[in-house]
Amino acid sequence: MAGEEVVLKIRRFDPSLDERPRVEAFAVPLKEGMTVLDALIYVKSRLDHGLAVRFSCRMASCGSCGMKIDGRARLACETQISSLPRGAVAVEPMDNFPIVRDLVVDLERFFARHAAAMPGLVRERDPEEQESPTGEYLMAPGELESFVQFTYCIKCGLCSSSCPTASTDALFPGPQALSQAYRFLADPRDEGEERRLERVDAEHGVWRCHFAGTCSAVCPKGVDPALGIQLLKRHVMSARSPFGRKKRRGAPVFPNPNGDLLGQP
Amino acid sequence: MRESTLMQMQYVTAVLAVLLVGVHLLMQGVLVPYGEAVSFQRVLSVYRDAVDGALLEILLVVVLAHGFNGLRTILIEWRQTPSWTRGVNWAVLVAALATMAYGTRTVILAATGQVS
Ligand code: SF4
Ligand code: FES
Repeated sequence: MAGEEVVLKIRRFDPSLDERPRVEAFAVPLKEGMTVLDALIYVKSRLDHGLAVRFSCRMASCGSCGMKIDGRARLACETQISSLPRGAVAVEPMDNFPIVRDLVVDLERFFARHAAAMPGLVRERDPEEQESPTGEYLMAPGELESFVQFTYCIKCGLCSSSCPTASTDALFPGPQALSQAYRFLADPRDEGEERRLERVDAEHGVWRCHFAGTCSAVCPKGVDPALGIQLLKRHVMSARSPFGRKKRRGAPVFPNPNGDLLGQP
Repeated sequence: MRESTLMQMQYVTAVLAVLLVGVHLLMQGVLVPYGEAVSFQRVLSVYRDAVDGALLEILLVVVLAHGFNGLRTILIEWRQTPSWTRGVNWAVLVAALATMAYGTRTVILAATGQVS
């Protein structure tokens, strides 16, 4: 390891200056346990301060450092150089997003789609309960199981960057937003079903997924957005059909006998 | 029409098409020898039989509904402007109805002995 180097071949592009992207190679001294993000930080601090790269937590939690590494969408902070094939490492910005500069992509539309999936509980009968909770919503463990994996999403965008439909259909919400739509439709506490269905049961909505499955293959948190989309299709069909199995909606509030949610009398 | 309604139709017509094409192929070479099955007079007699003629008409409608809706899906994924989507929806509907009408005309002419 000592004295060894890894070469990063980084795609550089500044849309305000460059006509087309170019690839620049940087040799980085290798350290044990080094991640691609560590190597990029070395490049930025020692070799080229102008390199644009986005990161924050460095522990696969914030979802900031999504990029394409050796042709596959990954989080740079959890990709060990030693886990990659030997030789130069190709580092590129994520596909399916406009490039801000170098490895930084514009996630505005991605987050707008997440917001359009209404990522929060909708309560019609007791909207004030969410502002001033008086207890807990009752939910069976099995009901939680049906959607809990989708709550692990860190909104890194890797799934949407790998989705072939997202790359050809500009109006397709993408696997992240669709699986979040399912996450709330499957939640027995939610009462916003009709509004949610209107958003996903559309010409460029859930039915445009052809189940390539690349989203699930690249998700760094073990979420299976492709499964979420298939479950969403089933949910839409059941909800729309007079014979379909309907989900329980509007789980009741169970008053907390110990006072407020912090247990204060 | 809702997209989920169209998808339901797509799934139902897919299953029906497999069944009906299966029956059709059985009659075109398995239960009835191929050479005999495609002779002009035998084909006409199929149209004139009420059950076989009705099955042919259902096969026509099912396959056209499935095929044209599939084509619509490909086209609306190809470009994504609202006007294109609207135009494709209408164009495909008109083309599907026109093709169904033409095919139905053939079934009726053959079934009522106006082709000989
Ligand atoms: S589903 Fe997975 S890949 Fe997609 S945004 Fe969430 S964490 Fe990232
Ligand atoms: S820096 Fe936060 S996920 Fe990589």
